[in-house]
Amino acid sequence: MFEKVLIANRGEIAVRVIRTLREMGIGSVAVYSDADRTSLHVRMADEAAYLGASPSSESYLRIERILDAARKHGAEAIHPGYGFLSENAEFAAACADAGVVFIGPSAESIRAMGSKTEARRVAIAAGAPVVPGITTGLRDGAQARQLAREFGYPVLLKAVGGGGGKGMRRVDREEEIEAAFRDASSEAERSFRNAEVYLEKLIEKPRHIEIQLLGDRYGNLIHLGERECSLQRRHQKVVEECPSPLVARTPGMREKMGEAAVRAARAAGYYNAGTVEFLVDADCNFYFLEMNTRLQVEHPVTELVTGLDLVRLQLEIAAGEKLGLGQEDIHWRGSAIECRVYAEDPYNNFFPSPGTITRLTRPSGPGIRLDGCVYDGWTVPIDYDPLLAKLAVWAATRDDAIARMLRALGEYDVGGIKTNLGFFRRILDDPAFRGGHLHTQFIDEFLARGGLAESAAPDVPLEVAALVAAIHTLAQTPAANGNGQRADGLSPWLQTGRSELLR
Amino acid sequence: MNLTIEFEGAAWPLELSREGEEWRFRLRGADERCALVRQAEPDVYSVLLDGRSYDARIEEAPEGLVVVIAGHRFEIGVRDPRRLSRKHAGLGQEGRQNVTAPMPGKVVRVLVSPGDEVAAGQGLLVVEAMKMQNELKALRRGRVETIAAREGATVTAGEVLATIA
Repeated sequence: MFEKVLIANRGEIAVRVIRTLREMGIGSVAVYSDADRTSLHVRMADEAAYLGASPSSESYLRIERILDAARKHGAEAIHPGYGFLSENAEFAAACADAGVVFIGPSAESIRAMGSKTEARRVAIAAGAPVVPGITTGLRDGAQARQLAREFGYPVLLKAVGGGGGKGMRRVDREEEIEAAFRDASSEAERSFRNAEVYLEKLIEKPRHIEIQLLGDRYGNLIHLGERECSLQRRHQKVVEECPSPLVARTPGMREKMGEAAVRAARAAGYYNAGTVEFLVDADCNFYFLEMNTRLQVEHPVTELVTGLDLVRLQLEIAAGEKLGLGQEDIHWRGSAIECRVYAEDPYNNFFPSPGTITRLTRPSGPGIRLDGCVYDGWTVPIDYDPLLAKLAVWAATRDDAIARMLRALGEYDVGGIKTNLGFFRRILDDPAFRGGHLHTQFIDEFLARGGLAESAAPDVPLEVAALVAAIHTLAQTPAANGNGQRADGLSPWLQTGRSELLR
Repeated sequence: MNLTIEFEGAAWPLELSREGEEWRFRLRGADERCALVRQAEPDVYSVLLDGRSYDARIEEAPEGLVVVIAGHRFEIGVRDPRRLSRKHAGLGQEGRQNVTAPMPGKVVRVLVSPGDEVAAGQGLLVVEAMKMQNELKALRRGRVETIAAREGATVTAGEVLATIA
């Protein structure tokens, strides 16, 4: 096993990796930018190396500086975390050239799975189902009609040369297909000077369900079951769970998806931890979407349900050890849910809310896991993704896990900045969420139907809120504004009494 | 003392008096009640009322105060009725409205000029931060008095970008 490992990342994932390193007695080297000098990962690590200015292009994305730090501190291996350089084949290759172990798959696997078309080819070759469609241009409307009949309606026509919705048409009925083909084609011609249009089956309100994989360098490859990540906002996952409520009630589905994911990864010669993402339609058909060649943000829900430490397993695999687990050793117990806590204001269009944390109470007690990077007095930098923490809970059943998450959200208090904790509270209270009716447009629909609005609060009297608002207003002592007038409009006798308030 | 509480568009009188930790209060002319109130942490109050315990957190918002109790959000304005101006000038029907930057960022667009009449909710300028664009809106009807912000300028949190009279 390694004696010292560098973490080429920041924030909660760097803290997460350091925790396992410490448990294993392995030295940790943090890297940091100007903005992160006093961030928790730097404070927790055994050693720390400065990379550069705050923008990630000057620090966390600088391959040479990271490798220099590894050499200087004598780190034998680098954990890339997620994001930044974690899926950069050039970085994986540069580590190998520098004689440092990259804790992840080979550069070749990253390359193969990093290209969507190449990954799709690998998946098809391995027999994993992909979204039915063709990726080359259609000849004419008649061919579009024939293929659409084959795949089944609705279908989507897309411009080969395009993006951004231009040259794209949804077609629900055969009567419309040829006209839609002509429209899409001429729009594509106008927009991209390329009239070519291709066709794929439209998966309506799909679920996003992914399979966690683990493999060693000796061809042993197993799956650790699924995570349901259908709750997304702007294509960013916000709530994840294991098991998926759909998979949990569909016998054999986990095994089928797991086997398909293992086949695709095996075809790419994959080792270390990785995740195959699938779209799932209303009839439980699943289609290969892409492969993520790194540890996922949402890995804690898998850890909670399987009892495994994925970072430890990553380290063992990277150190050349054989996977000590077979598929028959993997068992799933209970239910886990994770919420991604961001510094953002759900009541103001989810606008980011960096700043200094003035007050912090963390949830704790039975079944709670908090992967965070914040402390009281820390300033959330404006330079990076505003993820503060991942709050995960485990309980025997999904209903119990939801109740536990609501309890934990109630205990969690972050002052000084805005967070999306209140948003999660509303989501977890939503009947559609509780019923497990999830799909990737769930949050858009939830927000559109006013899901954030407060329900009546019969158990909390308005009187209490009004009293506290009044007392708080009286207790504040804003300075005079220089004209001899009070800036706050309070009468002098209230001010006189104020010094005695709330001692 | 007498204050006015604003909640969901209505204004209600609140009478209150204090003796040590005990606050006697009467909202909307209802029966007088007595609560034990202590500040537990900055902006966090512990309230005991009729044997029940409430933990209330205060968030300052441009529109007034947000009081969060057991996850329920109450948006509340507090006003001293003998004064015309409110504690939170931003919402006032009278007086000047200062439009401030909610966070550090860059002004990407200025949508109005001094002298323009603006309606409540009308966009005044666009500030970009953390790769998100946020439109700052007029909280009420008025005339643009000053625009301190320039397109492309870097601004700090709380900086006054425009005033509406």
